[in-house]
Amino acid sequence: MKKFKQRLSCSFFFSIVPGILWQLLFLCLPLVFIIGLSFFEISDKLALFTMDYYRVVTNKFHLLVILRSLSVSFFVATVCSLIAYPVAYFIAFKVSKRWQSIGLFLLALPFWINFLLQVYAWCFILERNGLVNSFLLKIGLISEPLYLMNNMVSVILVMIQGYLPFMILPIYSGMSRFSKRLIEASYDLGASAIYTFWHITLPLTISGIRTGFILILVMTFGEFTIPTLLGGGKKLFVGTLISEYFFTSRSMSQGSAFVCVSAMVLCGAILVVNKIFGLISGATDHEN
Amino acid sequence: MKINKFRFSKLVMPSFVGSVYFFLYLPIFILVLFSFNDARFVYKWSGFTLDWYYELFRSTEVWIALKNSLIVAFFSGLLSLSMGCLLVWGLFRRSKIILPLFYITVMIPDVVVAVGLLSFFTMLYIPLGITALIAGHTLLGLGFVVPILYSCFKDLDYGLIEASLDLGATRWQTFFKVVLPLLKPSIIAAGLLVFIISLDDFLIAFFCASSDSQTLSLYIFSMVRLGLSPLINALSVFLLIISCSFVLLFSNLSDKKEFF
Repeated sequence: MKKFKQRLSCSFFFSIVPGILWQLLFLCLPLVFIIGLSFFEISDKLALFTMDYYRVVTNKFHLLVILRSLSVSFFVATVCSLIAYPVAYFIAFKVSKRWQSIGLFLLALPFWINFLLQVYAWCFILERNGLVNSFLLKIGLISEPLYLMNNMVSVILVMIQGYLPFMILPIYSGMSRFSKRLIEASYDLGASAIYTFWHITLPLTISGIRTGFILILVMTFGEFTIPTLLGGGKKLFVGTLISEYFFTSRSMSQGSAFVCVSAMVLCGAILVVNKIFGLISGATDHEN
Repeated sequence: MKINKFRFSKLVMPSFVGSVYFFLYLPIFILVLFSFNDARFVYKWSGFTLDWYYELFRSTEVWIALKNSLIVAFFSGLLSLSMGCLLVWGLFRRSKIILPLFYITVMIPDVVVAVGLLSFFTMLYIPLGITALIAGHTLLGLGFVVPILYSCFKDLDYGLIEASLDLGATRWQTFFKVVLPLLKPSIIAAGLLVFIISLDDFLIAFFCASSDSQTLSLYIFSMVRLGLSPLINALSVFLLIISCSFVLLFSNLSDKKEFF
């Protein structure tokens, strides 16, 4: 065994170098650059330390943008978890093996279609004379077309559609490892359906919700395409404001400061979510 | 009570799940349907046509964009796979410090990665373009390849590697003749995943591509910004067919994992 490990340790060094180097060069170094840019004012060959950028990006306007993105993200993640849980439960427990794989296949398929195309398709559905409006007009539910495009409604709706599989799949993978016998045992021992769900099924599958929740939080917080194409451009989100800083106004330093502030807010949000999920699973576990 | 329960599991749940699937597939149905629509103003159905497909195959810009996308996807897939395999072999279960490094990519928003790359390239005067894109997409790919391959490698039969080394194979012989064949299904699956992630990526391309290295996502974005055009629908059906065949391949290969 020892000899075996020794023989491996030589190759160890050489074969891990390229991957790690790549990661350091193109991920860690750029992140250090961003942090550096946000603290230094670069003029000619001098770099002066300054906190001015942070003073600007923590004003009311910027904080409002962060708050808006954060609340949209939380809303989308919450709605997704409420929709996804029954779907995952159904796929995991209620259908035959064959339908299970078909269901999962159909969930994974939209991932493979360019996301922009799906966003584009929503224009057909939500436009002023699009499908939803013409349908509602035809059945006489409304007399005037509704404004569904270029506002929060369209942004949130499309985010839910786009990111729902990211919630269903982690919950499903947690459930597929969960033994159905535990439920049967609970019933056999006289527990009610609600008690069983609350004390057995939910605590054992909540880690999937947590994974999906954090995934969706991270992805929607920096979302750029949906607000740009469907948000009407009036209300700024974190992703759109960052790209504006780096593209339109070309003030990289201030943009970097904004990136740092919003990243910190996101980290805080993730910690809070982790804590909340920890509390929930603790509460449901300990009562037993 | 019993009847209620019966109804719930037989009616309410399936119809809820059915409507969720309907919601997920609604945009795709619409794309396909309207690609055959014979009208410039695209909201109303006014007859069947294949004109948009004809126009799609005549347009040169689409095919240049597709070519760029395929080049980037191929090289980033190749690079991230080879680096990922080497890394997993080199780490050999000693992963406590190194592995979390590769989770960062998934844990931070894409826009931050993209902006970081942009400032990195501009500050070091590295020209933006296809090479920069490959670098960025390889980075994205590594974030998926390394965790996937590592978890598969961990499940491998340790004894086989040990036997190979004991019987006198060098470490590289063991890598090429034992480890790689054992990992083959997951390598192919991970490679396809990276390929599709690269094709699908918009943000990194938006920040790191130059004007002469337009990718498919950028092309679609600029078309959508100009307004709705049935040409995009035709393109999406074309891509849909390609993606479907890829997914079928992907799921076939991952099913086969059990037989190895």
